[in-house]
Amino acid sequence: MKKVAVIGLDCADPDLLEEFLPRLPTLGELVRGGSFSRLRSVDPPITVPAWMCMFTGKDPGELGVYGFRNRTDHSYGGLGVATSARFSAPAVWDELGRRGLRSILLGIPGTYPPKPVRGLLVSGFLAPGPEADYTYPASLKEKIAAWVGDYILDVRNFRTEDKAWLVEEVRRMTEQRFALARRLVTEEDWDLFAMVEMGPDRIHHGLWAHHDPGHPKHDPESPFRDTILDYYRFLDRKLGELLSDLPGGTQVLVVSDHGAQRMEGGIGINEWLIREGYLVLKGYPEEPTRLGDLVKAGLVDWSRTVAWGEGGYYGRLFLNVKGREPQGVVPPERYQELRAELAERLAAIPDENGQPIGTRVLRPEELYREVNGIPPDLIVYFGDLSWRSIGTIGWDRIHFHENDTGPDDANHAPHGIFIAYPKLDNRGERSILEVHDLILSLVGGE
Amino acid sequence: MTERVTLKIPRPLYLRLREVIQDTGFRSVNEFVVHVLRDLVSELGEPPTTLTPKEIEAIRTRLRKLGYL
Repeated sequence: MKKVAVIGLDCADPDLLEEFLPRLPTLGELVRGGSFSRLRSVDPPITVPAWMCMFTGKDPGELGVYGFRNRTDHSYGGLGVATSARFSAPAVWDELGRRGLRSILLGIPGTYPPKPVRGLLVSGFLAPGPEADYTYPASLKEKIAAWVGDYILDVRNFRTEDKAWLVEEVRRMTEQRFALARRLVTEEDWDLFAMVEMGPDRIHHGLWAHHDPGHPKHDPESPFRDTILDYYRFLDRKLGELLSDLPGGTQVLVVSDHGAQRMEGGIGINEWLIREGYLVLKGYPEEPTRLGDLVKAGLVDWSRTVAWGEGGYYGRLFLNVKGREPQGVVPPERYQELRAELAERLAAIPDENGQPIGTRVLRPEELYREVNGIPPDLIVYFGDLSWRSIGTIGWDRIHFHENDTGPDDANHAPHGIFIAYPKLDNRGERSILEVHDLILSLVGGE
Repeated sequence: MTERVTLKIPRPLYLRLREVIQDTGFRSVNEFVVHVLRDLVSELGEPPTTLTPKEIEAIRTRLRKLGYL
């Protein structure tokens, strides 16, 4: 039985890490003296549900959580935000708690509102704001204020062209989270300490173009060319300080929920569906409008609509099935055929020059061990996730090189990182779903 | 009167609690423990399953700004 510290770095990418490693003394030492693997995320490789998949050992289908938002019924009323209540499978800390072992959890996405835990919990960035009760027990919030001041759940607005401000904000957040982590590991009792820092994700999305010479928006003269590297060096120092506070013999795992890659552009999924006649509106909006707003305004002609889509880092497609959706038109016996047709046609959407972009279209029942809740009918990785899905309507085009919700340079990649120190068995690749069992076996206590 | 059940707590903890309530308004450890637990449960508030519409909107706006939606 030993203490286990899991340090989660949201979006930390294995290729980027290898590139930077010679400049990162702490991570370099962990990789050289420990084990380093690529960590295959779940599909979709998105913060929610990926972290909770890691900590429950269940895939999104088993959890019935397919993204930050999920259908809660078959109405057209949009999607519900996935809160901690949606994750009913026991997490590794619940199982350790039953064995009498204590966990400290800091910043894990999917833990708001806080559920009781044997130990301490500081919710992740999805808490509505610092005024919310984001800790368990509630009194921990006062302690945090006394230790580190006003707690920063997340960068306030990372969709900004003011990169200098963004970098400063992310650093401030990371600095504070690690300061809090050091307090927690030294002043509180724990068998498992698990934290997630969102900084790398925010930095990648905000600054990838400045770093990546292959990015369409790259400027070799950019003053922010080395900003991602500089942030990783800063993070490496913070990590080193935290590790020096851990008791001897602690098993350290440094992990991420997914990686990052450059974003080439976006595909207007609903614009395409409209153009191809699958989605029919009663009136095309004059300015970019969210589909949800058109639904509310009664502007979708459901009696003639076969399918609609959702935007985000990946696309989701829903079919309007007779007997399932309130005004469904797709006869159930034609569901598979129409879904196959849509999958094939979505996969074939080229870039604006007619070149293929390598889109992959996935079916939930082929991805997951179980399919609970209401999954999308199709999951769409435009350009194998190098293009995002644009859900808004009113652009009169399908291809985008700017995001519809503000500047963003990076999309997610399916592999994150896994570092174990001291060394565990060396493997080139692991699955994010193995981490739960690994933590249980390391902490032991039965 | 509400039906009651018996809880078991370690004796050293019981003895410590008895010290804590000496010269206070609590007449017994039992009374004190019920008071503390009631207080704790009320602090937990509603079961942590529901968000207010305002909270949901705040989260959605943030997710949109973050690019997840």
